[in-house]
Amino acid sequence: MIYQTIIISAVLVIAYTLAQWRKLSVEISLFLATLAGALAGAIFTTPPLAEIPRHLVEGSFTYLDVILVFFTATLFITIIQESGGINFAVRQTVVGFARFRFLALFLLMIIVLIPGALTGAGSVSLLVVGAPVALALKGLGVDENKIPAILFILAGLAAAAPPVNIWAMILCAGTAIPYVGFELPLGIPVLLLGTATILILGRQKGKKTELNEFLSKIEIVPGMNWWRLLLPFVVFFGLVIAYRLWPFSFPILGLPLEFIIASLAAYLISPVKINLIKVASSTVSKLLPLLSIMVIVGMLQQIMAASGVKGLISYSVLIIPIGLLFCLLPIIIPFSEGILTYGGAAIIGIPLVWYLNSLGYHATIIIAALSLLWPLGDGLPPTALIGRLSLIVSDYEGSYWSSIKKAWLPWAMITVVAILMIIFSSRLSFLVIG
Amino acid sequence: MKKGLVKFKLLATAVLVILIMAGGWPLWQHRHYQVKIILGPGVTEVKKLSDYFPAIEDSLADTRIYILQGKEPGGRALIMGNTHANEPEGLLSVLIMIEKAVVEKGTLYLIPYFNHSGGLNTRPGEGYPLYFSIPTAWGKKTFRMGNRDASPLDQWPDPDVYIHYPEKQMLSYLDIRNTNRTWPGRKNGLPMEQVTYAAMELLRRDQVDLAIDLHGAETMFPVTNCIVAPEKSIRLATLASLTVKSMEGFENHVEPSPVKFRGLSHREIGDYSDTLPFLLESPMPFLDQPTGPKTEKLFLTGQDDFLLSLAKKKKLFVPYDESGWPLEKRIGQHLSVSLEIIRQFSKKSPDRAIIIQNIPRYRDIVQHSVGYYFQNPAEVEPGKIILD
Repeated sequence: MIYQTIIISAVLVIAYTLAQWRKLSVEISLFLATLAGALAGAIFTTPPLAEIPRHLVEGSFTYLDVILVFFTATLFITIIQESGGINFAVRQTVVGFARFRFLALFLLMIIVLIPGALTGAGSVSLLVVGAPVALALKGLGVDENKIPAILFILAGLAAAAPPVNIWAMILCAGTAIPYVGFELPLGIPVLLLGTATILILGRQKGKKTELNEFLSKIEIVPGMNWWRLLLPFVVFFGLVIAYRLWPFSFPILGLPLEFIIASLAAYLISPVKINLIKVASSTVSKLLPLLSIMVIVGMLQQIMAASGVKGLISYSVLIIPIGLLFCLLPIIIPFSEGILTYGGAAIIGIPLVWYLNSLGYHATIIIAALSLLWPLGDGLPPTALIGRLSLIVSDYEGSYWSSIKKAWLPWAMITVVAILMIIFSSRLSFLVIG
Repeated sequence: MKKGLVKFKLLATAVLVILIMAGGWPLWQHRHYQVKIILGPGVTEVKKLSDYFPAIEDSLADTRIYILQGKEPGGRALIMGNTHANEPEGLLSVLIMIEKAVVEKGTLYLIPYFNHSGGLNTRPGEGYPLYFSIPTAWGKKTFRMGNRDASPLDQWPDPDVYIHYPEKQMLSYLDIRNTNRTWPGRKNGLPMEQVTYAAMELLRRDQVDLAIDLHGAETMFPVTNCIVAPEKSIRLATLASLTVKSMEGFENHVEPSPVKFRGLSHREIGDYSDTLPFLLESPMPFLDQPTGPKTEKLFLTGQDDFLLSLAKKKKLFVPYDESGWPLEKRIGQHLSVSLEIIRQFSKKSPDRAIIIQNIPRYRDIVQHSVGYYFQNPAEVEPGKIILD
């Protein structure tokens, strides 16, 4: 059985490599690798040939909820953009805080952290506030090449920040550990690492930008004002917070409907007429590569599980000696996220937490530390979800790697902090309150 | 648009439509597949959960309760299977009880599909088989493999975070469809909260003494091969554990129910009613992450090379060798431990005793196999068969 799964894994990797060599897109390459893996698996009837279509269709639904959030959140922010809200926000922030640069950077960091902390999705942070924050950073003179890197790291930290951390929740659900006591083990590193990131990447000004020259480039829509800008955000965050305040009387709307309601608010109070069909259509076009990746990664996961490749990955991690494991975690954890997104938490995270816990490491601190490492993988191929979104919302036209590699120092700091948290998890257990 | 491109797009669309139909049809069939449940000689009444909470009537949250009432009055016990429908050891154990058990004293309430919607669901991304079949002397008896959570077709949307009622603990958003996180339930809550609310109504209204929730758990999970019990049930659980070890020769240790982890049957039933709750976990290698392909064979035999290798490296929480952890052992454990809990309770409270006959125990199941205890539906009068 072990050789069989190794052969199927090899077919998957070779098919992906060949497709990339033929310069096919990441999405098509992944789909072809999935198909090749399924057919290789069928030789051993894992899965049987006749079941491949069912596995593909079933797997394509794995991330349907995430896809709906991506679409509705992007629709929301596009309507804000079309109504002139983003330009207005940037102009006001830059004019108001240009003299207090560190304070402005710190405030922008908090603005990025909040949506991700409330929803557990770094993508929501980027989709909701990424574009205005990117423009504000430009206005504050931050090097344009570093802006996607800043957003990528902050969005990842936002996803890890309490109160909602999806990786930790998946691990808690899978390991039967209560999702309590994560506020300090997650909150403290997120705030410290976020501040360090904004200082490291945003402290030095890029090419000298004249404030007036920058402001002149920002087109202002007549009629846009603070209440027109903030009301849709108040509606969205109001709905998110209302459920937390009155969880047993407020209806459960779900993030997609909350974004749609906020979008309607933005549409109705926009000072300019917006063509909803056109905006929705362009949103789909903009997001299509990202959405198709999510569909195909679901299919890939399904085929990997049905063929045993998923088990092989999990097994390979668990047989690594403990010392070497600590050295390899900074690679294994982010790459599992890059390939499997949240699936990595279940496949590798759950057995890993049980294993480390049985050796005396503190489970809550381990989970907190691992969930600082997973967001880094959202910048790695083949999915690179948050990394790619960072470039999209920053309107960055350079190459992907030229921008993301600027995040190397915050990346290294996050890695060191996470690994130290695991190694000294027992001593840090005082942080777990509740 | 170029003619060639149009042709390509039409062809791609046609391939996609065929793929969706070829892949979607088995999923539709799975959701509508029904199992023949045979009413044994002990079944005196079949009710529904909605009899205790009418709001769920005619919905997929509703489920059947098979009642076996003895001639003599006594205590009452509820046994639930398929709380997690991807752990069908519970379902199969309860179905054997429905077909075989005869109650002499007291009353037995049996719910084979506690999370009915979960039994109609699949688990995207996990590559499970849609069905599994139990070999019998008269052919195969086939069952749906379900999911841990209710289907989004029956309960949707999910919140961005699930806030448990009434303790307000935050849990994963998925757990709002998990009927082992929604206890003690909420009258005006979502369907799965209403399922557990209805079950609490049953426990309170009919003054049920014991509630046993049957599960399967990973071999790498510390809480496996055990009885989970809160403070009020732990003495009975310990007695049952010691007795099955000495009399039947298998381990089933006791795990205390954590006070801070909310929504679980073994915690909330005890805290919100007079019933003594127990949750039984039998080791289920199929659920482990580091296994080979997720096949029907893995589910039935529990044999896996990766797990065997990890067992040699002492990374599992149960003894594991080439024989795996077959279904017979898992179901045999559930039946013996359930019977032993009931027997210990009956000894301690003779006025509320529950006396049950004809349920096979661990050794019987291991010796004869699971299929031995399922009757051939073709040989049973039609009035004794329920499609569920």
